[in-house]
Amino acid sequence: MKLVTFVYKNHERIGALDDVGRIVDLHKAYETYLCEAECNPTADHLAMVALGRNMVELLKRGAASLEAARKALAHLGQKKKAADGETVFECSTVRLMAPVPRPGALISAGKNFSDHVAEMSSTKGPAAPVAFLKLPGSVIGPEDDISYPTEVKNLDYEVELAVIIGKPCVDVTEDEALQYVAGYAAFNDISARDVIRAENKTGIHLMGKSFPGFAPMGPYLVTADEIPDPQRLKLSLSVNGEKRQDSHLGYMIFKICEMISYWSQMGLNPGDVLTTGTPRGVAAGRKPDQTPWWLKPGDVVEAEVEKVGRLRNRVVVE
Amino acid sequence: MKLYLGFLESSLPHETRIFGEVGGKLIDLKLAYADYLSHTANSSAADYELARYYFPETIAAFLNRGETAQKALDEIVFFAGRSGVANLRGPAGEKVTYDAEEIRLLPPFQNPEKSFVIGFSDRARKEALPKPEVPTGFYKLPQTFVTGGAPLVWPKFSEELDADACLALVIGKAGKRIPPEQAWEHVAGATLVVDVTARDVNRREGLTTNNLLGKNFPSSTSLGPPLWLKPTRKELASAVIQLSVDGSVRQQFALSDCVFTIEQIVARWSILGIKPGDFLAIGASMALQGDRLQNPAPLKIGAKVVCSSPAIGELSHPVVSSKGMNR
Repeated sequence: MKLVTFVYKNHERIGALDDVGRIVDLHKAYETYLCEAECNPTADHLAMVALGRNMVELLKRGAASLEAARKALAHLGQKKKAADGETVFECSTVRLMAPVPRPGALISAGKNFSDHVAEMSSTKGPAAPVAFLKLPGSVIGPEDDISYPTEVKNLDYEVELAVIIGKPCVDVTEDEALQYVAGYAAFNDISARDVIRAENKTGIHLMGKSFPGFAPMGPYLVTADEIPDPQRLKLSLSVNGEKRQDSHLGYMIFKICEMISYWSQMGLNPGDVLTTGTPRGVAAGRKPDQTPWWLKPGDVVEAEVEKVGRLRNRVVVE
Repeated sequence: MKLYLGFLESSLPHETRIFGEVGGKLIDLKLAYADYLSHTANSSAADYELARYYFPETIAAFLNRGETAQKALDEIVFFAGRSGVANLRGPAGEKVTYDAEEIRLLPPFQNPEKSFVIGFSDRARKEALPKPEVPTGFYKLPQTFVTGGAPLVWPKFSEELDADACLALVIGKAGKRIPPEQAWEHVAGATLVVDVTARDVNRREGLTTNNLLGKNFPSSTSLGPPLWLKPTRKELASAVIQLSVDGSVRQQFALSDCVFTIEQIVARWSILGIKPGDFLAIGASMALQGDRLQNPAPLKIGAKVVCSSPAIGELSHPVVSSKGMNR
């Protein structure tokens, strides 16, 4: 199943794609199912309680809410419902937000592809998983604009896979780690390299990774059952159609199951997001001259993960 | 004025209320305001709804109501002074006045977008290292928050835990790229923060200029107990913050010791945009080890950690083992 968060009449709604790629409003669809298939007289109220008000609440409800979503989709499918702009929408008519617009924690791996570690001239890869927090407020949707803050000179991109946690997860082993994944999305870890350099002189970086709009995510949350082995996916990124990053998640130093196992030491919750780190090809790694590859206002950045989806974001002056 | 967030034993966990400290008692501000309204000439069927509007379920939402809500608070204080705190009752006779023991206190801010600790900022640090060019900081995840009384649970992955006292500037008014000369207007007040660090993990992570696990685990951030609302700038800058472990004072500082001014720190981090309920915690020295005052205090299982400031209150925590805890 492909779950989405979208905007309808200025309200955040949760939805899922039907078998022809249209967006189905999950509350409306489940309400219809409850009303028609179960004759529930207060279907609207129960649909809200059963699914939650947003994607994080849906994930916190666990398998029951996903089962409700599946029933709702199947029920509408049987009725062959036309796009009505109330329950079923053509994709082009609504704006998608990130599937998890405000994760509880957004944990981004650093130095996690050997080719990227080499281009950033670190001597060797880390001994334990390395990650930093991006602010949940920096997350934007798959087609939203990336803002170019006035404080920044060296704006960079990093295609990654976002792994969305679906169950409370503490001290889990690598073997069981993937059971805690709700699904996957494409991710772009936008970075202000000059701000990061200044912060690293006396502290750790925070601002340089977390300006508003520095975390495009989406377009969907592809549920884990559709991606049996996330390490077998290709990922790539292009700027204005020119390919800059082209790699494979098999090259990760710490695999997704190792990352989940390691970071579960701090306790992970449904709606938390781990991102994999990025392969080679970022602007900061370009030799000998980085300048041509820094993002500029007007650039269109496309980040894609095979079988998961593609982000297309324009860089605009804030 | 000190504002607390809490709930009653009998209420559901999400039914939080804002309490104000008046005359040594905690008063339920929503019901107190409804009572006040019922005694005015404008009293109407909407008294409860208006009271709920001004005193909603979180302090962040109250701050977001702006100056009219602050005015409502002033009216309650005046009203309580006139009728006597002990005599306050809701319009239908509801209980309004509580002793602190009757309330389950929560961290005053539950889920801010920005909960930062500003590092490298006190006098000890100033002497020890080159002056930082910008006030850098790190982010403490809201899922790590606890408040006074809660046990600090020793994480399984660490051998070396310590605690730093901080005074957190709480934002009361939203803004972005605020110039330093306007920054003070955006500060609603302050609260205490204890920043607990797994120092061995933090040191290892520091080699990669990151930190995450060493600073973010359950109960690694304590805040509260109240929001100290609207102190004067002078009161805030001179408030003395102290951290003691088993009664021995380990850290003592005031914001006036800080390398950066309140205004510089608010201005800098407002670049990302700040909202009511966000906080910027300014702390004692980090990363230095040893026995002298101002260094973080190494902790042991069974130790008692107390962070206090006379104008605000104290956060007191026992350090406990994670063994046998149901996490």
